[in-house]
Amino acid sequence: MIIEYHRPEKLDDALALLQRATPKTLPLGGGTVLNSPADDKFAVVDLQQLELTSLEAKGSNALEIGATATLQALYEQADVPEALKTAIHREANYTLRQTATVAGSMVSADGRSAFAAAMLALDAQLTLLPDEEVKGYGEVLPLRGEALKGRLITKLSIPLNVKLAYDYVARSPADLPVVCVAVAYWPSGRTRVVTGGWGAAPNVAMDGQGTEGAAEAVSNALSHASDEWATAEYRVKAGQAIVERLISEVSEN
Amino acid sequence: MDITLNVNGRQHSIFTHPGAKLLDELRKQGYFGVKHGCETGECGSCAVLVDGVLVNSCVNLAAQADGKSIETIEGVGEHPEQGWRSTEGLHPLQLAFVDSGAIQCGYCTPGMIMAAKQLLDHNPDPTEEEVREVLSGVLCRCTGYVKPVQAVLHAAAVMRGDAEPDSMITPGDIDELFIKPPEDGSPPPADGNSDISTAVRVLPKVLIAPQTEKWQSVGHPEKKVDAIKLVQGKPAFAADIEPRDMLVAKVLWSPHAHARIKKIDATKARNLDGVAAVLTHEDIPRVVYSTAGQSDPIPGPLDMFSLDNKVRYVGDRVAFVAAETAEIAEEALKLIEVEYEVLPALIDMGEVLDNDVIIHDEPEFVDFDESDASRNLAAHISIDIGEPDKGFEEADQVFEYEYEVPKVQHAHIEPHVVVTFWDEDDRLVIRTSTQVPFHARRILAPVLGLPIKRIRVIKPRIGGGFGGKQEVMIEDVAAHLTIATGKPVVFEYTREEEFIASRARHPMRVRMKTGVLKDGTITANEMYALSDTGAYGCHALTVTGNTGHKAMALYVGDGKYREKPNIRFVADIVYTNTPPPGAFRGYGVPQGFWPLERHFERIAKALELDPIEFRLKNVLRAGELQPFSTAWSEGREPSPETIETNGIEECVNQGRAAIGWDQKYGDMKWQEVPGKPHLRKGVGMAMVMQGTAIPYLDMGGASIKMNDDGSFNLLVGATDLGTGSDTVLGQMAAEVMGAPLEDVLVYSSDTDFTPFDVGAYASSTTYISGAAAVNAAEKVAERIRYRAALMLNADGDKKEVDPGEVHLEDSKAIALDGRSVTFEEIGHHSLHHSEQEQIMGVGSYVSPVAPPPFAAQFAEVTVDIETGQVVVDKLVMAVDSGIIVNPVTASGQIEGGMSQALGYAVSEEMLYDEKGNARERDLRDYHIFAAHEMPEMETIFVETFEPSHPFGVKAVAEIPMDGVAPAVGNAIMHACGADLSRNPATPERIWRALQA
Repeated sequence: MIIEYHRPEKLDDALALLQRATPKTLPLGGGTVLNSPADDKFAVVDLQQLELTSLEAKGSNALEIGATATLQALYEQADVPEALKTAIHREANYTLRQTATVAGSMVSADGRSAFAAAMLALDAQLTLLPDEEVKGYGEVLPLRGEALKGRLITKLSIPLNVKLAYDYVARSPADLPVVCVAVAYWPSGRTRVVTGGWGAAPNVAMDGQGTEGAAEAVSNALSHASDEWATAEYRVKAGQAIVERLISEVSEN
Repeated sequence: MDITLNVNGRQHSIFTHPGAKLLDELRKQGYFGVKHGCETGECGSCAVLVDGVLVNSCVNLAAQADGKSIETIEGVGEHPEQGWRSTEGLHPLQLAFVDSGAIQCGYCTPGMIMAAKQLLDHNPDPTEEEVREVLSGVLCRCTGYVKPVQAVLHAAAVMRGDAEPDSMITPGDIDELFIKPPEDGSPPPADGNSDISTAVRVLPKVLIAPQTEKWQSVGHPEKKVDAIKLVQGKPAFAADIEPRDMLVAKVLWSPHAHARIKKIDATKARNLDGVAAVLTHEDIPRVVYSTAGQSDPIPGPLDMFSLDNKVRYVGDRVAFVAAETAEIAEEALKLIEVEYEVLPALIDMGEVLDNDVIIHDEPEFVDFDESDASRNLAAHISIDIGEPDKGFEEADQVFEYEYEVPKVQHAHIEPHVVVTFWDEDDRLVIRTSTQVPFHARRILAPVLGLPIKRIRVIKPRIGGGFGGKQEVMIEDVAAHLTIATGKPVVFEYTREEEFIASRARHPMRVRMKTGVLKDGTITANEMYALSDTGAYGCHALTVTGNTGHKAMALYVGDGKYREKPNIRFVADIVYTNTPPPGAFRGYGVPQGFWPLERHFERIAKALELDPIEFRLKNVLRAGELQPFSTAWSEGREPSPETIETNGIEECVNQGRAAIGWDQKYGDMKWQEVPGKPHLRKGVGMAMVMQGTAIPYLDMGGASIKMNDDGSFNLLVGATDLGTGSDTVLGQMAAEVMGAPLEDVLVYSSDTDFTPFDVGAYASSTTYISGAAAVNAAEKVAERIRYRAALMLNADGDKKEVDPGEVHLEDSKAIALDGRSVTFEEIGHHSLHHSEQEQIMGVGSYVSPVAPPPFAAQFAEVTVDIETGQVVVDKLVMAVDSGIIVNPVTASGQIEGGMSQALGYAVSEEMLYDEKGNARERDLRDYHIFAAHEMPEMETIFVETFEPSHPFGVKAVAEIPMDGVAPAVGNAIMHACGADLSRNPATPERIWRALQA
């Protein structure tokens, strides 16, 4: 339950609010998650006037994304990889995409988040206040509650010189995935494979040189992935099938 | 905190709390076009434009919108006729929604129009894909999105100047699509070259019956009579009022699947500021009843109390609270102290019969028929038709398999909602979103300790029901609290409550046994159904009875077996500690057709028979007895019924052409997808039948009075839950009276003012209530003819006019010699000038028969053979629903039903853990299809004239639920060999079937 609402105009003011000991204070992006029913009481700091919505290519190799840029704005950005667009499209419906922010979606993601899986594969880098510290999304995601306490994501960056591929299995085309795989392939040969569709967050199954071993890595990552939606046995087999296709896709010239 | 909301150009300075949702604040300001459907932004019925951007106001704080420009449906357009004030009228989008039949219940319509408006404001020439994309955030459970997409595309064309506003349905369309049967008696064309696509077609293809040719209203695509108000987001729904001092009700739900309440203390809750009342089982009378909204006597056990000292599922009621705000009520719930004695829970329906744990051990339990609470048995059915055992002995081969069908949710976008208050005569008014207002009044009277005459139930517009509101499930909560406090009370479910504390479709485990000769003749057919009725027995007997009564009646065998079919249907309907199912579109029949049609596909494959020919060989035909009509009738005395009309063969012809069956079924090359070796395509089909009303039981009433301008008020007790029944009843009355539909003002329903009707269920409204409207209209027509003759004969120079020879047409009464008087003249004369009388008619109807509609449903799918993922590419339904009164509303029923059934086929199910906790609690986990993921859908009507009805109609609303799932299942088997026993066809189930 939201007990206080603040709409600061300066980053310092926002940070000061977020660093208060009490009440528990959280940054409010679009609000699509925070504004849903909740039992605990907390204050929110609305980021809408902080001008964190920019989308700017940094040379030809990176895209810098303001933390409160919406998913739809990122989706419509011309130089975003097609596979990332697919993942954004799978993440939420059109209305929610116009409200949900990039950073908010990444921070609140669960294991069934297509967008989080893709961003994790891209090894997205987050810039946090105070101190303009840059951290990898994979570093933040597992312990995000503690890692982001009293901090504010202002922007993030993703590489544009990688090949990204994403695919999933779901009950219907727009349903949440029961298993999904994202593969990012750098010109250097670095290959990063992420699995999702279950649990608290997507997982990095592999991050190394070359594509060899990707199927086995996915198999390992999903070997205990049983929940109420699917068995690990199934996820392993489906995940392997998907990753082999994706590896083939990113390996093409 | 103080904020300013700038809504449709008008500033509202309001004081609110920081967590207040924009949705709630807008509704408090009277913008009732903004609808509540969920709390997580999934359904989109609350969508508004904030600074021109589409936003779900349920997940947007009012504070976030402070100072911004907000646009709601109320700011889009308005009724063009406002007396002396000139207006710009409706927006082209609104006009297109009205014209195209895009509005069914209308609850999601404002959200859809706001979404479309944002699109067209920026993109005047969108593609169909772009339209579907923007509509993807607004869920619709009624339309299947076909007509809303068409409406947006048409509105865009109008706004660009490429189309005329009134051109959605043109005479050209009608000539092209309404196909007359050839005069030589040969079959009508089924060329398979139909180019029906979402973008261009509003009307379905209709093979018309010859009787319809001279009708002026019946058979025509009239606009829905409630469309204009719904498209403007007018306050037409139950929650769209706000009486002074209205309290908000909340319920404390059980956290345990099975427990006895040892002690309950509400003292702290009662002492909380703002709390008006807290009620526990110790505070209100203990009256046993059933929540099933059915006729008296309820055909099932009485096993429910408003509040009890025992809880029987996670989500069962523990206490009621009424408070000044929802937040206070929620706080009060946390302060109620309950001490439970947790009891063993029975979750698996296979383990409950004769278990030591008894779910209903209350002494007040009232048996019905063969229910037995000591065995956890809510109902039992055993029917033998012919000699099934002899039939099995005579078979060349007997096939026996088991199947399973899931529990699924109605997911109507308007949640259950009721407002109760005492009126100035101290009568309890219950304004509720119900399909059964008269049953609700009758059932609630003893529960509340009030005589029926002191209760008035008002049914405003309903935001979808599908059977979920054929349940008297929430009205008692608000009513008890109004009685306790003397104040108005609103009680509205959250989306989570719809999943944990509402009703659903009965899940079943079904064993099929079928004896077949080598030539494909069925010698005997047997079904055993184990049906899970959850914690309460509402609809337990009748839903499962219908599973056999309809599904098992479709195939009777051939030759001597056709003359004397051998059919057995046995069912045990058992209690479990899960939320109770109830009525749901199809009412047990979809549960029967998944096993039956999957089973028949297996048999056809095993015997190497053509699956369509095998079915047609054994299918029930016109002139034959509905085999179950001699054996069972919803717990009442059965009466033999002959099938008068059956268009199933023509439905098959039309459907197989539309899906391209003959080109695809035997073509392995077609099944491959170039460049995608892991994909396989397949086609499948199913034949289905349903019923039309319940014979000798369902009764509808109607009254019509003529006004002094020649218009009419048609009052019906029937309950239009978005289906368009008000419109088709009006059309039938208009046809009889010779009036245009626009001069028939339809009102439904209010127990104080409208005649009795059982309500909207059992596919009865068009047939039963329609016949009642016809009867009333005939009485009015008779008086109009009399008055016309009176007026014409006043001119004594002419030949005397015989009233029996007066013809009614175009709002005129026309004598044989061509002289006429207008309805306006007649109405005015009858009320003001001479031999004054109120021209009025009252009619009612109860039917001795329940003529079944028949259909052939086809599906085309693509299966990923490595992951098991299936994508449904196309659905076709060719249906014999008798005469189609309104092809637009009827095709809307088919399209919406097919999309709901598509969920049943591939994605929807409700599961529970071992403690009875629901897996599905929101529309994120319980995925219903959205606009941008729908397959192509095609509807074909094959008309027959059902002689038991004045306009030859049969039912249309439920039958589309029946055959999609098995058709998809059969298509999956054709695609890749995966032979499923259980739906929905999830990727893992398909994958496992492929491994088998």
